[in-house]
Amino acid sequence: MKGKVNIKEFNDHVILYPDNYINDIEGDKLDYMCDYLLKKGIKKFVIDFSGTELINSIGISILIGIIEKVKRHKGVVLFSGLRKVNQNIFNIVGLTKYVPIYRTEREAVDELRGNSVAMK
Amino acid sequence: MSKVEPTLERLIFNLNTLAELGEEITSPKAFPRIIKSSLYMVMGSFLASKGAIFRYDQAKRIIYPIASKGFGDIKELTIKLSEEVVKEFVRSNNPVKMIDNEQAVKMLGPARAELEKLGTRVIAPLVVKDELLGFITINEKFSKDEYTNYDYQLLSIMAQHIAFSIYNHSLLLKLVHKYNENRRLYDELRCSYYDTIHAFAAAIDAKDAYTKGHSHRVSAYCAAMAREMGWSEDEIEGIRIAGLLHDIGKIAIDKSIINKASPLTKNECRELNSHPVIGYEILSKIKFPWNGIPRVTRSHHERLDGNGYPDRLKKDDIPMGARIMALADAFDAMTTDRPYRPRLSFVEAVEEVKENFGRQFDPHVVRWFFSVIRKEILGDVEHPSIIPLLQERLDRVTINRILKDIP
Ligand SMILES: [Fe+2]
Repeated sequence: MKGKVNIKEFNDHVILYPDNYINDIEGDKLDYMCDYLLKKGIKKFVIDFSGTELINSIGISILIGIIEKVKRHKGVVLFSGLRKVNQNIFNIVGLTKYVPIYRTEREAVDELRGNSVAMK
Repeated sequence: MSKVEPTLERLIFNLNTLAELGEEITSPKAFPRIIKSSLYMVMGSFLASKGAIFRYDQAKRIIYPIASKGFGDIKELTIKLSEEVVKEFVRSNNPVKMIDNEQAVKMLGPARAELEKLGTRVIAPLVVKDELLGFITINEKFSKDEYTNYDYQLLSIMAQHIAFSIYNHSLLLKLVHKYNENRRLYDELRCSYYDTIHAFAAAIDAKDAYTKGHSHRVSAYCAAMAREMGWSEDEIEGIRIAGLLHDIGKIAIDKSIINKASPLTKNECRELNSHPVIGYEILSKIKFPWNGIPRVTRSHHERLDGNGYPDRLKKDDIPMGARIMALADAFDAMTTDRPYRPRLSFVEAVEEVKENFGRQFDPHVVRWFFSVIRKEILGDVEHPSIIPLLQERLDRVTINRILKDIP
């Protein structure tokens, strides 16, 4: 199913694994998922893109929406596992300036546990 | 407006987005989905976290959102626009910043406050063929950077794509509306058409004291046979109409001849027998939505053996509709009272049909006719249309006995 999001929930954070493409409005499912988790009181998010092959402008707008929303709730979003092509796209549109990006999900989670990360 | 030149990578990304936008708006997806995707593409391109696409309603002179992101539910929102500002947007047809020195913005009037409440930073009009179709509105960039000249250019191109998509969609809606309207008019026309034909049939039958309801019964018998023979709904409709009108030529025949109880003279007979030709002449001047109505009317007294009238046609030269009608007509004549004799019983009528099998009547048609009657009596037809018109009740034992030796 398109727009499928897998999720691992921990005590104080979650890791989200979006679908292989975030290039149409099915990507909104990721947004709905974050809404739901924020309502549950979760404030720390890692979005791991290691299974994501392509993110286009639609995907960017969905991710921006999520970042803003989490920021409003005084939460944190970290990205990890970005492929080169997607990292480039994030660079081009300037998204990398606003979200900390980690090589692996592990590194992102370590950062969260260290509690040293705040939203830039 | 700042004059930052985009990087090559950025240009490629934007070009790619434009290609995707073009693909999206020509895709067969549902319109609301296309518009939503288009909005997301615009917002993603400029890193805007809030934005909307509004549709302009010319009659009410309002705009209302058809897609939005970041505002929550604004479906009910409507914003009134003056005629002047609409003209100005059509004239300038370019994205404008929500600042004082933009002419269109100054002319927005109360609409400006409404848009500012949403946090709108840039308005891009959607214009096709000098007609305002709506707006794209976007809020500030997530990065808080200013919109650049290049951004405006890109937004303008995207707006043209999206305007085109909305324009096409509205053409389609107009077409659907037109179609429905035509359909309704056609249905009304058809109703009045049927009324007219029924009035005609009543007039024909009124002429003949004995044949009250004859045209309606012939019509029903013909339709039932045609259905049994696998004709299309349209063809069935055609023969139903033909059945109602088949004796229309009798309108021109002297009433005393039609109702005469004693045998007709040669001249009277000739006059009565002219009714199929007169009917043909009348009906061939009318444009029917079904083919063959005049032909069937002309040939409904032909016989398979060539001894019928008016053209003494034989077998396959007689149109199938006329062969069906010949049986329906004769069968009804047999089973109803006539000036010159009382009606035959169903059994007697079947006997007479059998006697004329292959001479007057087409054997295939006879078989189909009895096959529907049998089905109707056995309860295999949902809406029986022959047996309710017969003047006697038949049971399955009788019908099986009568029809068992139908070849
Ligand atoms: Fe007749």
